[in-house]
Amino acid sequence: MKKFFLLLLLTFSLFASDSKDVLRAQIIEKIISNISINEVITVWSDNKELIAEFRKSSNIITTDDCGKANIVVIENAKNIENKDCKNKPVFVLNYNLLKDVPESFGAFFWKKGRPNIVLIKPRTLSHGITIAKELEAYVEEKIW
Amino acid sequence: MVKRKEFIIFFLLFLLSLFFLYVYSDITKAKNEIFDRIEHHQIEQISFVLKNIEKDILDSSENLGSNDLVAMFGNTTIREEYEHIISLMLTSNVKYAYILHKDNENRFRFLLDASKSDKAEFYQKFDVTSPEYEAVYKEKKPQIIEQHDIENLYLTYLYPIISNGQVVGLFSIDITTNIQKIILESIKPLETFFAVLIIFVLLLMGMTIMQIFHYFVTRKRIFTDPLTKTFNRNYLEEISPLLNLEHYSLAMLDLDKFKSINDSYGHKAGDYVLSRASMIFKESIRDSDILVRYGGEEFLLLINNRSNNKTNIDVCERLRSNISKELFTYDTNDIKVTVSIGLHKHPSLEKNLQEAIKLADEMLYVAKKSGRNRVITYDEKQSSESSSSTSSKDISFVKEALDENRVLCYFQPIYDHKSGEIFKYEALVRIVSKNGTIVSPIQFLPGLKNTNMHYKLTQRILLIVFEKFRSSQKMVSININFSDLINPDIEETIIKHLSENHHLASRVTFEILESDKIDDVELFKKKINLLHSLKAKVSIDDFGSGYSNFKTIIDVEANFLKIDGSLIRNIATHNKDFRVVKSIVHFARQSNMQTVAEFVHSKEVYEKLLMLDIDYMQGFYISEPKASLAEKEDLFKKAI
Repeated sequence: MKKFFLLLLLTFSLFASDSKDVLRAQIIEKIISNISINEVITVWSDNKELIAEFRKSSNIITTDDCGKANIVVIENAKNIENKDCKNKPVFVLNYNLLKDVPESFGAFFWKKGRPNIVLIKPRTLSHGITIAKELEAYVEEKIW
Repeated sequence: MVKRKEFIIFFLLFLLSLFFLYVYSDITKAKNEIFDRIEHHQIEQISFVLKNIEKDILDSSENLGSNDLVAMFGNTTIREEYEHIISLMLTSNVKYAYILHKDNENRFRFLLDASKSDKAEFYQKFDVTSPEYEAVYKEKKPQIIEQHDIENLYLTYLYPIISNGQVVGLFSIDITTNIQKIILESIKPLETFFAVLIIFVLLLMGMTIMQIFHYFVTRKRIFTDPLTKTFNRNYLEEISPLLNLEHYSLAMLDLDKFKSINDSYGHKAGDYVLSRASMIFKESIRDSDILVRYGGEEFLLLINNRSNNKTNIDVCERLRSNISKELFTYDTNDIKVTVSIGLHKHPSLEKNLQEAIKLADEMLYVAKKSGRNRVITYDEKQSSESSSSTSSKDISFVKEALDENRVLCYFQPIYDHKSGEIFKYEALVRIVSKNGTIVSPIQFLPGLKNTNMHYKLTQRILLIVFEKFRSSQKMVSININFSDLINPDIEETIIKHLSENHHLASRVTFEILESDKIDDVELFKKKINLLHSLKAKVSIDDFGSGYSNFKTIIDVEANFLKIDGSLIRNIATHNKDFRVVKSIVHFARQSNMQTVAEFVHSKEVYEKLLMLDIDYMQGFYISEPKASLAEKEDLFKKAI
């Protein structure tokens, strides 16, 4: 059912280009809600719109201090360079960032106008992240 | 005629809007057809190219399997070579071109991506949601995905790479919305133009509908009597030119003693009775019959007799019976109501509707005279024997005047030359016409003879005079003819007002026209005795002009004898007339009656009458009739 909901979100994201930011936030929120790191998830992001949307959510705690976060969502690798959070689990908003940021474990991005999700299994394991069954369809063994 | 014009405009607008809708839908159809043709043409072109590339790929290896394809494009040199070839397809319309492969876990992966932007890595996973991707594998046929929802994409063309009957991969070509946008932009002004035209025409249609609706609402208000919810006289005037009287019988209905209901229970009760009675009328007639409130408590009924000639009497009897059976209860008062009906079975035999109404009204008068609560039918045979001098126009004229309260009385002094005082006044009917002129009775009264309208007019005059002289000391004469005198409603009015006010009764003289034919002398005497018993006085009017029966005149013991004007007019010059008047004066004295001479128009006539010692005189020489009561000093102004 949850998988269906995510698929529905992915499909729905195709219909509403005006609220792409909102949908992206909802999808990422859904992904984060379906992973487990043995503590309450606190998110920091370099994307202001995303953080604004997360703040509306009751499932995610956000922080302005990168060091206090246990999940970091970035769209630019430079934004976490020399920061306390550079070793924390990173979720990226661009496929190529998976290659550039070794701590990244997953990505959400638009490929040819379609929404795509990738979760890299070895990296999730190294961060002690457990992935729910609903997200298994998006799990990859490596970055291609 | 407004109605017809509005309908034509509405119909034209309707046709116009249909035409515009047709053009608009044609433009939309043409647009879609252009899209389809472009799409078909584009896909055909792409298919040819892809087929060649597919052939080239398959030619490079025999029995190429799915994994072989992955291995083949895993080679960067080969991949880049094919990416280069496929990229040649990229145009402003073809945005992305890539090859996908479905792996063992049913995930689609990029084998190569020839796109110039948003390029994917080799074997990168591609999340697809459209079922057409699976359909390519299943059906082994190209698929088209109409991309309504992906930004800047119009459609995706999926072309299978088939090796040994198996789909080993697929080409995916994303076509942008460029052409669609260009076509839409070029057609849009035309579409907008027609859309605006259609909206405009629809608005006009709406306005026309509103106008037609307004017309019908107004029409209903104009043609409906607000109290009884029946048609009114405006409606009758509207339909009369179109009415085929051959299909109808005509009945005039009048609620009996309606005035006494108003007087006894109040006007609200009267309104209730009218409203309830009209409801009973409506329930008693058929849809094809037309009921019109003709004025006051009088209704006109057009009975459709196409099916059965006897229906008209049945309907009238049913109406009469239903009304008499009904007990009208208003404010705890039980009111008994009956209706008199005059029926003309064949109104088409008359010159026009007004003539037919007049005859039905005459029958109504007979019904009233015969005791009310009955239907009297017009007998054409009897009618053909007697010529009618009545005018239908007069009936309408008087009816309207009564309804609109334009009936009034003028008063002419009757002079007592012995005392030099005004003895009394004669009340004379006048009608104020719609343009404000005063119409004298000679212009309408002869046309009312023997109609129901005549007694209604008499009744109104009685009420005006009684009201005016109720609290006065002056005396008054009222003209009344025999047929009025025997009318039950008039009799009731006289009794009601005079029996309770002897002071008024003693000052009222009823001038009974001697020229009227008196069929029933005994009845006449009885009615005169009734007037005497009320202490009212009686005068024989126009004496010397009619069927003088001296015995009857003596028997009724009239108080006054008014000598006809035709004898007085020429008395100064015609010796014969002088002698006749002299005889009449002598006869009156012998019979204990006082004499009155009318038509005293000159000094010569006045002096001759003085010689005859006439008791009282009236005429223009003394004073003309006026709306107000003339005083002594107003007399003989003409003589000066």
